[in-house]
Amino acid sequence: MPTPPARRRLTLSRRRQLAGVVFALPAILLVLGLIAIPIGQAVYYSMTQWDGVTATWIGPSTWNQALHNPTLWTALRNNALLLLSVPFALGLPLGIAVLLHQRVAGWRIFRSIYFLPTAISWVVLGLVAQRFFAYQGTLNSLIHFLGFSRSNTNMLGYESTALSALGITFIFTMIGTNTMLFLTGLATLDTSLEEAARIDGAGRWRIFRSITLPHLRRFIQLAFVMTVIALFSALFSLIFVMTGGGPGYATTTMEFLIYQTGFNQGDFGTAALYGLILFVLTAIVGVVQLRLIGSEE
Amino acid sequence: MADITFDGVSKVFGDDIRAVDNLSLHVADGEFMVLVGPSGCGKTTALRMLAGLEEITSGTLSIGGVVVNDVLPKDRDVAMVFQNYALYPHMTVAQNMGFALKIRGESKAEVQRKVSEAATILRLTDYLERRPKALSGGQRQRVAMGRAIVRNPQAFLMDEPLSNLDAQLRVEMRLEIARIQRLLNVATVYVTHDQIEAMTMGDRVAVMRGGVLQQVATPQFLYDHPANEFVAGFMGSPPMNLLRAHLESGAGESTLVFGRQRVAVPSGYDRTHALPTESGSDVVFGIRPEDVEIVTEAGTVGAISTRVERREALGAEILVHLSLVDADGTSAITIDDNGAVVLRPTVLVAKMGPRADVKVGDALSVRFNPERFHFFDAGSGQSLRQI
Amino acid sequence: MILFVAMLLVAIVMLYPFWVMIYNSLMTEAQFLAGKGFSLGSWKALTSVIPVGQEVLSSTIICTASILIILLIGLPAGFAFAKLRFRLSTVVFLAIVSAMMVPLQAILMPEFVNVTKLGLTSGYVGAVLVYSALGTPFSVFLFTTYFRGVPDELIEAGIVDGLGYFGVLWRLVLPIAVPAIATVTVLQFIQIWDDLLVGLLFIQNTSERPITVGLAVLSAGRTTSIPQLMAGSFISAVPAMLVYLGFQRYLVKGLTMGIDR
Repeated sequence: MPTPPARRRLTLSRRRQLAGVVFALPAILLVLGLIAIPIGQAVYYSMTQWDGVTATWIGPSTWNQALHNPTLWTALRNNALLLLSVPFALGLPLGIAVLLHQRVAGWRIFRSIYFLPTAISWVVLGLVAQRFFAYQGTLNSLIHFLGFSRSNTNMLGYESTALSALGITFIFTMIGTNTMLFLTGLATLDTSLEEAARIDGAGRWRIFRSITLPHLRRFIQLAFVMTVIALFSALFSLIFVMTGGGPGYATTTMEFLIYQTGFNQGDFGTAALYGLILFVLTAIVGVVQLRLIGSEE
Repeated sequence: MADITFDGVSKVFGDDIRAVDNLSLHVADGEFMVLVGPSGCGKTTALRMLAGLEEITSGTLSIGGVVVNDVLPKDRDVAMVFQNYALYPHMTVAQNMGFALKIRGESKAEVQRKVSEAATILRLTDYLERRPKALSGGQRQRVAMGRAIVRNPQAFLMDEPLSNLDAQLRVEMRLEIARIQRLLNVATVYVTHDQIEAMTMGDRVAVMRGGVLQQVATPQFLYDHPANEFVAGFMGSPPMNLLRAHLESGAGESTLVFGRQRVAVPSGYDRTHALPTESGSDVVFGIRPEDVEIVTEAGTVGAISTRVERREALGAEILVHLSLVDADGTSAITIDDNGAVVLRPTVLVAKMGPRADVKVGDALSVRFNPERFHFFDAGSGQSLRQI
Repeated sequence: MILFVAMLLVAIVMLYPFWVMIYNSLMTEAQFLAGKGFSLGSWKALTSVIPVGQEVLSSTIICTASILIILLIGLPAGFAFAKLRFRLSTVVFLAIVSAMMVPLQAILMPEFVNVTKLGLTSGYVGAVLVYSALGTPFSVFLFTTYFRGVPDELIEAGIVDGLGYFGVLWRLVLPIAVPAIATVTVLQFIQIWDDLLVGLLFIQNTSERPITVGLAVLSAGRTTSIPQLMAGSFISAVPAMLVYLGFQRYLVKGLTMGIDR
């Protein structure tokens, strides 16, 4: 039997693997070059005296020095306090999503409306929030309206309340995305499960707890991760516009501190170190989330 | 126009999973060959190796006399119909069918001509501009076939194309596929787990189990002369009754012993079958349900006493499940869905006419059609028949 | 009924920012300080304070370029990880997906210095590269989960019909990837258009500034006119809203196919 020039090397499975590598390569290179490598660089630079142009090696003692800086601890404390807003940033959207899921008349329009603020830049939202919390702002108008005509607040002006104002604004910004996420999750829920439970005699709360919530677990996970990441990075825009980190350092979080240290003070080395700390923090949150809410892959 | 030859082909996954074990099979040009067997028997793997979607671990596969082990699917000139049709959802029926031709650079006019030809054969002409999601299951299946026909390939490969259709549609499409295949006269390998499809559609049928080819023959031959217990139990519905018995040899005469009941082996079988010579040894006796006849006259030769345990009325016939009276020491062997041997309590299934007057609990005297005895080795399950 | 009222209340809260922007922008500075009035003056004066048109153009260029890259790189990679099993693909996929969790600030300093040294802070290239790198992990994640839902048989049918893997990608996978493409586009557009940090640092020429930076700088200025700021904010908010409304119906489909597995 005559054999055609057998392409011994390029069998189908080899072609498939080759295609796989080629297709994935650009993504791998981009992520490697612009994310992975800078992490390594940050480790190096954190141990140097660096102004962005010249880096003088000092060694691990820079870490020691940085850890004694009280501003760092203030920033870390602020981040930690802000984590308290996460349950609200998840719970409220969950409630709203459940609300929308009831398919009350006009729910589609409501859904669009709820997501619209997400389209707005956090810069803009920050400016609007500034107006809200200001001395002549809407919050005070509301308080007066409700009858407390004596009190006036200036939440952004006082150290003790500025962070809370920031937190509230943050929750507002996350409502849109998380609602959309949970709504998608609810849409994928198999109604026959709910119906079976109802036939079995389960009440609405029971159904929610035993069927809806477990199904939504993956979505809650995703929302949690996205919310925390936003808290540790995107919040920058809000801070920049609303308070500039102040009053004092009351609203300076890690992500803002890095910017300040690097670009206002010109201390790139320490900023790189802070960056590493932020990275570790996010990684910890990621791992914790896996344990707490349940793991998938 | 080509034939297909599997020569000692094996497919091994990982270190030790032999999905296909040393398969040697020849499909002639224009022949409709059915690969049948329970799930996991290797039939789909064999088909995929033929398509080029699985690599061949050892052995040689040839199409049209050319060894194709290392040839890519697109160069083998075979067309495949998938179980779930795999129609391209964003293309119309016409585009789906013409796709392979278009890739090969055929002119628009040529493509259109071939597509409308195939559409006529499959009665799809009215649906050419529709998308798959606007079609019914049966229509989609025909489009999948159209896609294969249009290419005028050396071989057709079909992977359980009817398993997603409802029963009535399945019967219709069986005829359609057989008709089209005869019309086009191309070597076809058809994989199914349904032995009815195998019996009605194939020129020849290859029965597989656990990766090993059990027997390949025409449907009728497989039915009448199964090569082993598995094939005997697999082909035919309801399956052949398989009973373990002792064989006592006397003076020039053998007797089957089922517990207390005895049935003489009609003369002639010792010439055609290699029956065990040692008296009292075990043998597996097979008899098809339609060859179990009710005996009305008392004292008929070869009659045994049974009791009716269950009765299934199917309209055109009645199936009665019988237990052998005093049947200790006898057991019937049946094959379950996974091809494993399962021991069941003593039961014989007989096919009766629709007017047969039998009720559960009746005592029934039956005998076996003396020309339709089957014998299998008690150990290996191989048929004892010598051709 | 109660539900409807509840949803209405939430809607009011959600629409509040728009109200603020529109209401406050339709006054002059003087009217604003006085607390009442109506005028289009601030809108007219806006362009003399910041080069709005130019900044919107910059934002548009940056967004478009970044999204194109994110799609071009992410889609094939998603297909590769979902369907083309190659050595170490699981590990590499996990590595890329975990890169989603790296906040820009963590690598900001080295990133900034690298880009500056390569001279890429003049012009849009630097910013586009950074946005692309930040958006790729999410894009890969979404496309991979989306493509996992594509039946293997479809790809095999293409192979038997005569396509190579690139042909499969181009002719079979791409046409059915539209919902995923729309999802990535919308989410990344919002992310990039509304971003401040990258635009602030990675674009040194004021003439190439995106709109978010322009607004932020304006708000930090001393002679800020709130109405003008609000007008500018509204202009900044419009494109993202339009993109969202336009791609809305694909979003649910794209996300569902992605996560439902």
